[in-house]
Amino acid sequence: MEATVFVPIGLGLTVIGAGLGIGRFAAAAAEGIARQPEAADKITGAVNLPLFLLEGVAILAEVFIFLMLIL
Amino acid sequence: MSAVETGHASQSVMEQVGPNIIHHVSNSDISHPLYHIPPLFGIDFSVTKHVLMLWIVAFLVGIAVITPVRKFLSSNKTTPSGWMNGIEAIVQFIRDSIVKPNVGPKWVMTWTPLVLTFFFFILFANGIGMIPIFDVLGAFNRFVLDVPASDSHNMINNILHGGVTATGNFNVTAGLATITFFSIMVAGTMAHGFINHWKNLAPHGLAWPVYIILIPIELMGLFVKPFALTMRLAANMTGGHIALLALLSLMAIFGEMFHSTIAGVGVAFVAIPIAVAISALEIIVVLVQAYVFTLLTSVFVGMAINVHH
Repeated sequence: MEATVFVPIGLGLTVIGAGLGIGRFAAAAAEGIARQPEAADKITGAVNLPLFLLEGVAILAEVFIFLMLIL
Repeated sequence: MSAVETGHASQSVMEQVGPNIIHHVSNSDISHPLYHIPPLFGIDFSVTKHVLMLWIVAFLVGIAVITPVRKFLSSNKTTPSGWMNGIEAIVQFIRDSIVKPNVGPKWVMTWTPLVLTFFFFILFANGIGMIPIFDVLGAFNRFVLDVPASDSHNMINNILHGGVTATGNFNVTAGLATITFFSIMVAGTMAHGFINHWKNLAPHGLAWPVYIILIPIELMGLFVKPFALTMRLAANMTGGHIALLALLSLMAIFGEMFHSTIAGVGVAFVAIPIAVAISALEIIVVLVQAYVFTLLTSVFVGMAINVHH
């Protein structure tokens, strides 16, 4: 079997990982806001940056997978 | 989208879909630029589709942002009105919620102009990618003026080569990230002096074996930051458009698979609502990516200024 057959499996794993990560972020932020509604702005601000870093890693993985498939 | 008609008739639809999607999101072919300029110092300066889009974006930012701001500053009013009111809200949000918490009150006014420039440029470049002006022009050209797709001397046919999202091109975002890369260094140098800025890369006062691992990691991090910025913006802008086009191509694929027009039309009832939903998501992505780029630029600049190891 060709090696590129397994590349889409990697894409799926990336999506699972990123989804779990983002899900945990959202859950923690929602819980925090529910406990302290007055701190909503601060919590959103603190969640934003790691969220985008996580998203960046996922996107990087997708780009590399895409490159592997076309090259 | 004219994705299906532009390929060669001898190929099957399945073989045409992939290249057509790539064609729609990538820059114009280097052998078919809009305007050919002979290479200077070994660099090809030909005007391609994305170069044209960069100019259009620069022009639009000029008339939509720079001119109103200049006009407001030269008038003696203290409160803005109309369009300028909206711009002020954005400017204030970026200064107070993005730049100030990251860079610190001392350097806000030094770095806000750069971050604002990034924000407006990326926002407009992303936003124009969502408006299918050239596709509409192409459809008008094809069906109203009856110009065949193979006519390579037709101006509008030439414009149709390549996508319209300039920020979906890795070279454009790499250029933007290079500005971030150097502004990180300039920020550190301005705040701590040249020697101290480089010393600040690694924390002080650790046992010496740690530095053997730490210094290469920090040096790598120096390049990984702008690289991640490049990839994030370009891949996000390209990815959404690929998803949209792939969904719309399903109509052609199903039509061919079952050898009937009805299958294609039937799939359209599913594919088009999903494509509309993805377009709505893309509008959010347009805003979020402009926000992310500015946020991360100010975070990186702030990391060079406020060293807290």
